[in-house]
Amino acid sequence: MRDLLRILAPLVLWLASFSAIYGLHGLGCAQGWAQITLGPLTLFRSMMIAAWLFALLAQFALLWGTRTWPFGPQGGFAGRTGMLTGWAAVVATLWTLQPVMTTTSCA
Amino acid sequence: MTALRRHRALDATWSSRPGFRGWFSTVNHSDLGRMFLATSFFFFLVGGILAMLIRAQLATADSAFAGPEIYSQIFTMHGTIMMFLFAIPTFEGLAIYLLPKMLGTRDLAFPRLTAYGYWCYAFGGTMLLVSLLLGIAPDGGWFMYPPLTGAIYSPGINTDFWLIGITFVEISAICAAVEFTVSILKYRAPGMSLDKMPIFAWYALVTSLMILTGFPPLILGSILLEVERAFGLPFFQADLGGDSLLWQHLFWLFGHPEVYIIFLPAAGVISTILPVMARTTLLGYGWIVASAVALAFLSFGLWVHHMFTTGIPHMGLAFFSAASTLVAVPTGVQVFAWIGTLWKGRPELHLPMLHLLGFLFTFVIGGLTGVMVAVVPFDWQAHDTAFITAHLHYVLFGGFVFPILAGIYYWLPLFTGRTRFFKLGEMAFVLIFLGFHGTFLAMHWVGLMGQRRRIDTYDVETGWSTINLISSVSSFIMAIGLAMVLVDIILHVYVALRGRRDPWKSGTLEWAMMAPPPAYNFASLPRVTSRAPLPDISGLANRLARGEGYLGNRPAVRRETLAVDISSGQPDYLVVYPGNTALPIVFAAVTGLFFLSLLIKFYWLTPLAVLGMMVLALVWVWRLGAREDSGLQEIGHGDRVPMAGETSRSPGWWGSAFLLVANGTFFGSLLFGYAFLWTVAPGWPPSQWLEPSVAETIAVTGGALVAVGAMRIAARHNRRGGRGLSSTVIALMGTLAVAAAIATMLHRMPSAGSHAYAATLFVLGSYVLFHAILCALMQANLFARIVAGYTSPHRRAEFAIVALWADYLAVIAAIGVAAAQIPGMLA
Repeated sequence: MRDLLRILAPLVLWLASFSAIYGLHGLGCAQGWAQITLGPLTLFRSMMIAAWLFALLAQFALLWGTRTWPFGPQGGFAGRTGMLTGWAAVVATLWTLQPVMTTTSCA
Repeated sequence: MTALRRHRALDATWSSRPGFRGWFSTVNHSDLGRMFLATSFFFFLVGGILAMLIRAQLATADSAFAGPEIYSQIFTMHGTIMMFLFAIPTFEGLAIYLLPKMLGTRDLAFPRLTAYGYWCYAFGGTMLLVSLLLGIAPDGGWFMYPPLTGAIYSPGINTDFWLIGITFVEISAICAAVEFTVSILKYRAPGMSLDKMPIFAWYALVTSLMILTGFPPLILGSILLEVERAFGLPFFQADLGGDSLLWQHLFWLFGHPEVYIIFLPAAGVISTILPVMARTTLLGYGWIVASAVALAFLSFGLWVHHMFTTGIPHMGLAFFSAASTLVAVPTGVQVFAWIGTLWKGRPELHLPMLHLLGFLFTFVIGGLTGVMVAVVPFDWQAHDTAFITAHLHYVLFGGFVFPILAGIYYWLPLFTGRTRFFKLGEMAFVLIFLGFHGTFLAMHWVGLMGQRRRIDTYDVETGWSTINLISSVSSFIMAIGLAMVLVDIILHVYVALRGRRDPWKSGTLEWAMMAPPPAYNFASLPRVTSRAPLPDISGLANRLARGEGYLGNRPAVRRETLAVDISSGQPDYLVVYPGNTALPIVFAAVTGLFFLSLLIKFYWLTPLAVLGMMVLALVWVWRLGAREDSGLQEIGHGDRVPMAGETSRSPGWWGSAFLLVANGTFFGSLLFGYAFLWTVAPGWPPSQWLEPSVAETIAVTGGALVAVGAMRIAARHNRRGGRGLSSTVIALMGTLAVAAAIATMLHRMPSAGSHAYAATLFVLGSYVLFHAILCALMQANLFARIVAGYTSPHRRAEFAIVALWADYLAVIAAIGVAAAQIPGMLA
């Protein structure tokens, strides 16, 4: 089962972070965070960027973590496939959540 | 024992009853796979006829062929039948038939569940068909958007048929998904580690996990909409705190993964057949597995791209637009792996290969238009036009029907034991290919000219007449092609000559048996050392028939097979299957009675049906297990393993675990709905919150913790030689405390019809209460089983299963009570 988890875990994490950040977006817009200024950014933008960076950090941590405990040493089919899904999840986190930097907030 | 004597002995144990009675009591996967496929293709025929009616209506301007009311029923039922009664059940049927054979085992994990799933599908599908025949079929489009489908704008029974019938049919999909997941992970030939699994099994595993997590949001949505229609609980009514957009979220949380749930098994068929047709091995096995997994997960991040025109803020749109473009990457990896496989092999142009080429050409076009509609500005222009209809047919017909036709022709010699004689199939392929592209290429064009989907007629001034006529004529050419496939298959089944085993010289295990396959598949189970066991082990089929594999030494008096370790594929335990029984069809009939009572509003019948299901469920589980320890069993090759009931991780435990994945997704979807309404819907906050109660909170969390702890102590007592009776009773008391506290909370909450808040709380509380009652029944049953002698320090599997459900109850009870009580505290 650990082999299977090793393959699935990175994309589970992507899905969880993607859904959570979309939820945060809905909550932030409903609460009017886009109207609260926080230095050069709004509270909304700051929260979204922080959440995105945290999601990226978590992906890299998982990528590093799956090489060691509790998944056992690297190598073998599950290790190689897990590495592929791990990098796929990193790319997915970067690409699908980059709109936090590039688009308008709640309009 | 000779191979023939072994065959006769095994056949007597495994065969279904003779004659038509056998259909109603069989639990054999080959029988049920064939029944699934025959039924799904019957529905394909019905859906196809409806498609012809649609094209007849649109062939000319100002058509008077069907009025708008009937036309609405026709297009709604066409989409509904093709999605729910053809595509998914075809995957189920094919996988039910093939998986055990490919995995080198004798049946799926839960044969009675396979049969129950089939009958739920057959009865639910019949329910929808009856509505069509009576002229009261669903008419709100296959995605049933409220408020159009709410009680105000659709007061008839039409919508109820959809909501109740589809929910009934979805039981079948969930059953199959649990079945496949456990079977693929645990029921394989010894030695078949994860990296040696046939690629189709990987695709089936990924698809099954997607069904477990994709279908629950739609089941929840259907329940909520039906409850709103029948009892007035306002989940989707904006004036009472509801929001019709909630339906769109729940529907597309299912609906977009559904596209990949349909495509991925077909991709599994392609990845299996293509290397055989190209006389080589599959290029990039690991990359394909990773791509299938990535595709599955990414598909859950696309649902809002069906909602680009609903006024969602730009940032939200951009998330889903980016995810929608990204999904093309893992799809592209698979397509390039297939092209590479062709490149490195020596392709032979047999009939399955023609359909695979048809797939490649068609699906790539569908994928490219998919990227177009993933881009928000383009989607705003094309949304709800015939362009979208054309795109989805390129993806679904190209991505599913062509590969399935390839699969049918590829596995037909296995199904029938005959060799193809007539050459109708080649001509049929040409007609289908040309007819399909004539129909839907034209539809892209007319969509870009502005023709909306689902319109029943149009004026001649629009300039759409010629294109629509081309589309309609082409669709009839395609229909003639599909009819020729049907004729070809019937001729093959009844007239063609006997063929030899493995005509394609394939490497997978389904060809290492007689054709058509015997009920037990393998007289003994192979030891697998590679992904292509057939060419690697000389004379494998004959050696297995002679009993030289695993279980060849066992007397053929029970239906036995082996379960293996998930990763390594080493033998884990011995499984004994139940025999033929009418229990699944009876259970499905009583389940149908439950749904029928809701449909025709005979509510007095509902509790009787529930009671019937409870009794049948108890009979179902009571028949399992043993009253004596069996100890380690000789399985051949010097290996000895315990019986399944004498382990902690029995098939029942794994089945429960994956069922709880689906269940947890349902609960998560409900919490999402609650949060969505709270933050987005108009008309919040409600005028009245639930008064917080410390006593209820303590009773629920305390009771749940007692149940969890006591079940663990009961299991420990049992392992140490005790019976664990008193701890089981304490666990039962804890569970009853949860049920009582939740019932009290439900009793004093604001009227469920007053506001979406109260309605959601009512459903949340009912969900926890249902699970508390279910868990209490399990604990009471365990108590009775202990007393009756079904448990011992070795026979411990049932404790682990009940403990798992108690754990789940504790989690949902804690979250449920927090979600109910905290808003009142904050207010």
